[in-house]
Amino acid sequence: MSHEAALHTHESHGHDDHGHHEHHDTFLSKYVFSMDHKMIAKQFLITGMVWAVLGGLMSVLFRLQLGYPDANFPWLETILGKWAKGGQITPEAYYALVTTHGTVLVFFVLTAGLSGTFANFLIPLQIGARDMASPFMNMLSYWFFFAASIVMLSSMFVETGPFSGGWTAYPPLSALGDASPGSKSGMDLWIIAMALFVVSSLLGGLNYIATILNMRTKGMSMTRLPLTIWALFFTAVLGVLSFPVLFSGFILLIFDRNFGTSFYLSDIFVNGVGALSNEGGSAILYQHLFWFLGHPEVYIILLPAMGMVSEIMSVNSRKPIFGYMAMLGSLFAIAVLAFLVWAHHMFVTGLNPFLGSVFVLLTLLIAVPSAIKVFNWLTTLWRGNIRFTPGMLFAIGFVSLFISGGLTGIWLGNAALDIHLHDTYFVIAHFHIVMGVASMFGMFAGVYHWFPKMYGRYLNNSLGYIHFWVTMAGAYMIFWPMHYEGLAGMPRRYYDYSIWESFKQFADLNRFISTVAMIVFATQILFLINFFYSIFKGRKVTDPNPWKANTLEWTTPINPGHGNWPGEIPEVHRWPYDYGKDGVDFIPQDVPVGDHESSH
Amino acid sequence: MSNVTTASTKEAKWWNGGKSPFDVEYGKVMMWYFLMSDAFTFGAFLIAYGTVRFSTNGWPNPNEVFKSYPFAGEGTNAPLVFVSIMTFILIVSSVTMVLAVHAGKMMDKKGVVRNMIWTIIGGIAFLSCQAWEWNHLHHEGAWWGMNPFINSDGTASTTNFTNFFFTITGFHGFHVLSGVVINIIMLIMTLTNQFEKRGHYLMIEKAGLYWHFVDLVWVFVFTCFYLL
Amino acid sequence: MSENTHDHHDVIAEIKKVTIILSVLTIIELILGFWMIGITSEGMRLAIKGTIVILMLAKAFYIVAYFMHLKHELKNLIMTIVVPLALFIWFITAFLSDGNSFRNLRNTYDPHFKEQATIKVEAKEEVAHATDAKESKSDAKEGKSEAKESKSEATETKKD
Repeated sequence: MSHEAALHTHESHGHDDHGHHEHHDTFLSKYVFSMDHKMIAKQFLITGMVWAVLGGLMSVLFRLQLGYPDANFPWLETILGKWAKGGQITPEAYYALVTTHGTVLVFFVLTAGLSGTFANFLIPLQIGARDMASPFMNMLSYWFFFAASIVMLSSMFVETGPFSGGWTAYPPLSALGDASPGSKSGMDLWIIAMALFVVSSLLGGLNYIATILNMRTKGMSMTRLPLTIWALFFTAVLGVLSFPVLFSGFILLIFDRNFGTSFYLSDIFVNGVGALSNEGGSAILYQHLFWFLGHPEVYIILLPAMGMVSEIMSVNSRKPIFGYMAMLGSLFAIAVLAFLVWAHHMFVTGLNPFLGSVFVLLTLLIAVPSAIKVFNWLTTLWRGNIRFTPGMLFAIGFVSLFISGGLTGIWLGNAALDIHLHDTYFVIAHFHIVMGVASMFGMFAGVYHWFPKMYGRYLNNSLGYIHFWVTMAGAYMIFWPMHYEGLAGMPRRYYDYSIWESFKQFADLNRFISTVAMIVFATQILFLINFFYSIFKGRKVTDPNPWKANTLEWTTPINPGHGNWPGEIPEVHRWPYDYGKDGVDFIPQDVPVGDHESSH
Repeated sequence: MSNVTTASTKEAKWWNGGKSPFDVEYGKVMMWYFLMSDAFTFGAFLIAYGTVRFSTNGWPNPNEVFKSYPFAGEGTNAPLVFVSIMTFILIVSSVTMVLAVHAGKMMDKKGVVRNMIWTIIGGIAFLSCQAWEWNHLHHEGAWWGMNPFINSDGTASTTNFTNFFFTITGFHGFHVLSGVVINIIMLIMTLTNQFEKRGHYLMIEKAGLYWHFVDLVWVFVFTCFYLL
Repeated sequence: MSENTHDHHDVIAEIKKVTIILSVLTIIELILGFWMIGITSEGMRLAIKGTIVILMLAKAFYIVAYFMHLKHELKNLIMTIVVPLALFIWFITAFLSDGNSFRNLRNTYDPHFKEQATIKVEAKEEVAHATDAKESKSDAKEGKSEAKESKSEATETKKD
């Protein structure tokens, strides 16, 4: 009784809201404190893009230092002031840039910007819901993210600089205010920003899970969900279960910083201060707690990209996705394994070698579902009638990068090899290709593909092709050589390699990498121009289903209002990948199964 | 085909969309998953505590630390007494919460009000006990970063015993506090007939889930700090 | 719907039953706890501790299953809650075994750490004694305690 009543009142409540909003839309309620999932998605996307530009700019600045360690750029002092005295970035500023670049891109761009955007945008549209389960919590999720952004941004303007101990924030650099200039108020702000971010991602994640489970339209069974939704579902589960562990780790860190505890501290000697009384803590504990989040985080970043790539590939190859159930199973396997392998980041910390070898085994197991996915993507392309739209190109680029970066993951997952390669440029190359650039490609693919749905206009294709080819070639030119540097032992995070005899040979290579990095960054600006120009002046979409796709978002009007479907929510009768079935190019999900149709 | 009513087809239909596969409204799904994530927060704390304890040679004996109760003299040696009272308070408040949820299902407003009041009293009593214990330990010189107790084998102890004790019981106490606040809000909403108007007391159920979770966490905290 | 078919008295009887079970389990835990105070044999203590952990899990089961009503929910919901909790198995195993290994590592390679575990301190005066013990440890540690003093002075002056 009470259950049914509640379910119904909720539904009709949603309808009321819908009508109500259309009438009283002010600028503030429509663009700022919007509870419409599509607007919140755009807010996440644009905030993420702002961070991507800032984070990318930081990488350009520190690449400038790595490529030209002896040169002076007076303009640097103009913009950075004391952080670039005499036109050269100071070591402190260098570390701050590296740290902030990592934090911002991992959390703010590729977590919030990626799954925040596409989970919000696609979940209600593709499962056939009028909005998220709780639009209010959804709005809060964005505003917590916004607050985190503001705090993180403000940490860059404090006297002692932003946190500079690496994005992983290992103690003692993060636990002791005296450890480095960046460990002072910069670190306090960093940790507050991250705490706000955890709250934001929890609010979002709970909402995504509840929406996907509870709000599917009639006929949308779990095995009729587009793979995008499955990927976003596992992403949300990973976030909900792993971010709290980071949160606990941060609370202990806050106590270590401010209340004289020694959870992570033992036998510390600080230059200029002397020995500290902290005893009995374990810095390895922090690393365990951090990587218990940190590894699932890699998949929080990667899974949405995987889901979108699967969808985009199927649509643009005009073929059903190959092995839907295998794709689903491998997503599940990756999500489970993500929680079991965290210590492969810690092989050289003094981890128990036997435990380490168990982690090696579990880590290498991830190769199996990853290989299944790659195989299925390639077989989806096989003999497809491929349309090379920019979105499709980025999707294919994702697979290429995922293969190249994934293979080096097998190297690094071996404890024996990792002892040599740990903390070298090999690691940088590995995770930038497989996680950073690959997910960026997934994000670009998604933006190109769903831009017509978001804004009712197309992005410019020619600029899209330039964007893709330069970025694709650039990504390999930047990160491929880093493998060689890493194999030669060049450690990461160093300020100046030219003072080591053994790394002098890489001076030209470093300069090459830096130059390409700047070109690639400039190309991203081209994308931004394309993006913002097309919102207002792009070619208008005239066909509600421009890509001839099956999923439900294309059954909405070109510019869907709050509530997505003006009439009834369509009922679903089939899975989303009926392309080229019985000689028909595509059959959308809301088309009833015909009498003489073959079963899939 | 529609006549087939085997268990398997019935089950499959739950997932077919258009309704909740769990037969609960979204708020409860969210509450359950929130509690899952909170379980990982507490889990991480307790596991961190276990890890540090495993990596340390000696550890204080809880029976020598927690051995007093209010209005007892200086040299009282009554281990486990006070904490068992605290545990029972929380269990009893959990029972009254179940009764409140049940009364809500029966649309029995009086029953909800009565049991919610008992639950709130239980929560406040627990918080008072914790406040007394913290105060007592603080007077003995224990605080974050200060540990007056020695290991059970007579060697010097690190401060991590008190660090973890205050952090974890504090975090749990914070949850109890927010639970009490939520319960008070629920009580006010009941008294102002908000749930009567809605026709259901589902909010009480969700508040109940949270309150039982707080009790559940105490089962673990109690065992890990006072018994093991 | 299922709630309606549930008889009111059945529910109350179930709540009573679970309350009694929880109380009995807690009392057994406390009895074990009291009993353990007098026991010095490590093996015996470990066995009691193991029993307490099992009782704790039983209590957790009753709270989740009956008070949180999970047992009467659909199997779908039960599975989505219980299956992710299985992650705790590896979470606990890996963390604790690495904690243990870290202690062995330090006992083997960190003489200061090992020495600490052998120096007894008198109860009630342990703070002063701990400092004594620290000073006697090694030259490096002597410097450490001096530095510590100078640090506390420094912080005092900062406060002014």
